[in-house]
Amino acid sequence: TLRLICTTAAVQRKNGGASGPEKYTEAFIKKQIEEFNLGKRHLANMMGEDPETFTQEDIDRAIAYLFPSGLFDKQARPMMKHPTEIFPEQRKIQWGEDGRPFHFLFYTGKPSYYSLMHETYEKLLNVQKHQDQLTVQDLPLQKEKRNLAGSRWLTKIELEEMLLEKLSDDDYSRFIQLLQKLVALPCADIEEEYIQKFSKEVPVQLQKVVIDPLQFDERGVAFSTGEGKRKTARATAVIYDNGTGKITVNGIDILHYFPVLQDREQLLFPFQFLGRIGKHDMVCTVSGGGRSAQAGAIRLASAKALRSFVTEKEVEFMRQAGLLTADPRVKERKKPGQEGPRRKFTWKKR
Amino acid sequence: RIMPVRWSRYDPSYLEPEVNKELYQKPSEKLTEEEREQMELKAVRPIKAAPPTLSSSVFSDPMISKFTNMMMKNGNKVLARSLMSQTLEAIKRKQLEKYHKAPENEKETIECNPYIIFHQALKNCQPIIGLSNITRGGKTYQVPVPLTDNRKRFLAMKWLITECRENKHRRTMMPEKLSQELLLAFNNEGPVIKKKHVLHKMAEANRAYAHFRWW
Repeated sequence: TLRLICTTAAVQRKNGGASGPEKYTEAFIKKQIEEFNLGKRHLANMMGEDPETFTQEDIDRAIAYLFPSGLFDKQARPMMKHPTEIFPEQRKIQWGEDGRPFHFLFYTGKPSYYSLMHETYEKLLNVQKHQDQLTVQDLPLQKEKRNLAGSRWLTKIELEEMLLEKLSDDDYSRFIQLLQKLVALPCADIEEEYIQKFSKEVPVQLQKVVIDPLQFDERGVAFSTGEGKRKTARATAVIYDNGTGKITVNGIDILHYFPVLQDREQLLFPFQFLGRIGKHDMVCTVSGGGRSAQAGAIRLASAKALRSFVTEKEVEFMRQAGLLTADPRVKERKKPGQEGPRRKFTWKKR
Repeated sequence: RIMPVRWSRYDPSYLEPEVNKELYQKPSEKLTEEEREQMELKAVRPIKAAPPTLSSSVFSDPMISKFTNMMMKNGNKVLARSLMSQTLEAIKRKQLEKYHKAPENEKETIECNPYIIFHQALKNCQPIIGLSNITRGGKTYQVPVPLTDNRKRFLAMKWLITECRENKHRRTMMPEKLSQELLLAFNNEGPVIKKKHVLHKMAEANRAYAHFRWW
C-alpha cells in the first residue's frame, strides 16, 4: 500500500487532526456527579465510616490507603475528586439552532471580556453622574479612602477562570486600569459590591513567623540561635548577651576569616542597625558557598537570632530593611544552544 | 504600563528595602500623607533582601558603590574597592597638603572631606542635555534630547573612568590619576568638564533639529 507523504489540508483534517480539548455535555457531567456521590457512599461503607459525614480529606486518606502509589508526581497518583474539580468548566454552546449567536458581542472573539469592560465602564459613568448630581446640589462628596493595602486585584489566571476565555496581558492590564480609575473617584462607594467581585483580601499577617524565646546556658547568660542561607552557603549563629562584641566564625576570628571589609560590614550590619554593636558576642559555623555568600548567610542567621532579643517593632523595622529575607538569587543554569545562561554563541555569517 | 524587561527571582509584589536607620526612628506624627500610605503598604507586602553592597553603616554610600562597580573588571570587586579607598585617601592627602600651606584667610575655603569632593565633582561633570541619533529620510541627525537623572550620573561616571584609563602615562597608578581628575572636576576644570562643554555646544549647534524628537 502507498502512504501519502505530501498531503493537502483537507486530507489531513479527514485523517483525524487535533480538535482541541474534549467537550463534555451537561448530561455527562451530571452522570459523573451521581457516580461520584454513589462511589463516596460505597467508600465510606468500605472504610466503616458514616456515609453522611464523609469529607474530601477522608476520601483522600481512604484512596491513599487502598491504592498506595510510590509515584513522585502527585497528579499521577490515583485520586477521587468531585467532577467539577477534575473536568474544567467549559462554555456552553453560544449559538442557537439557526446558527445565530446569543451574545451580541460574539463576533469579537472574547464576548465575556468585552461585555465585562462595557459593564465596568457603565458603572464608571454612573458614578460620574452621581458625582455631578451631588455637586449640583452642593452636597459634600464622600471622601472615605478605601484601604488599598489590605486587598489586591484578581490575577490574570483568576480572571481567565472567571470569564472562561483566554486573555492577553494587554487586555488584563486595560481591565485593571479601568478598575483603578473607578476606585479612584470619590463617590465609588455606590459600586462597592461590584468592585468587591474583583478584589481579594491579602492576609495582613506577614509576621506568621514564630520567634523563639531566649534560652539560658549554664553560666546564666541569655543566648539564641539562628540559621541562614545564601546561594550554597549554610550558616548557624549563636548570639550571647552581655558580651564585648567579639565574633568568631568556625573557630577563627572574623579579622582573619574575612579579610575583605565588605564581608565584615555585612556581618556587623544587623548589630549596627539595632545599635547593639558592643553588647553581644557571636559564635557561628558556616559551610559551602564563596566568600560573599558565607557573609550573607551569617548576616541572615544573626538577624534571625537577634529577633529574640528585640521588641516586635524593631523586628518589623529589620524586616523592612531587608535583613530577614533569604536572598533567592542563585546561579542561573546554562541552556542548550547557548554558551552560558544568557550569552549566545558567536554569530558567524557562514 | 509596567513591562518587565528581564525577569527576576523575586515576585513582582516584593518591595525595595529601606536601610536608613533615621527614617525608622522618626515619630509617626511627623510623617506626611504619602509616607503614611507607603508605611502601610510596606507592612503588608513582602520585602526583598538587602544586597551585599548596601549597609546601614555611615561608610556605605550608594554613589561610591555604583562608581566602584563601574570601575570593576572581570568581577574583581576587592581590587576595585581598594582602588576606590586609595583614591579617597589620595584626595584627602592632597587637600591636607594644600590646607597646611595656605594662608590663614583661605584655610576655611579648602574642602577636605573626600566624599563631598567626590559628590560635587560628579555633579559638575553631569551633562544637562544629550544627543541621540535619529534617522530621517536616509540621513542620521544628532538631535538634542533631555536626559534622565540616572543617565546623567552614568555618563559622568563613565567619562571619568574612560578618561583615567586612557589619557595617562604608563607608570601612573589609577588612584593618583583619579584623584587628580576629581580635584580638577571639583574646580570645574579638567578634560571631563571640557567634554561636557563640548557636548553642550554640539547640542546648541544642532538646536534646529530639536523638533525631530517625538518623545
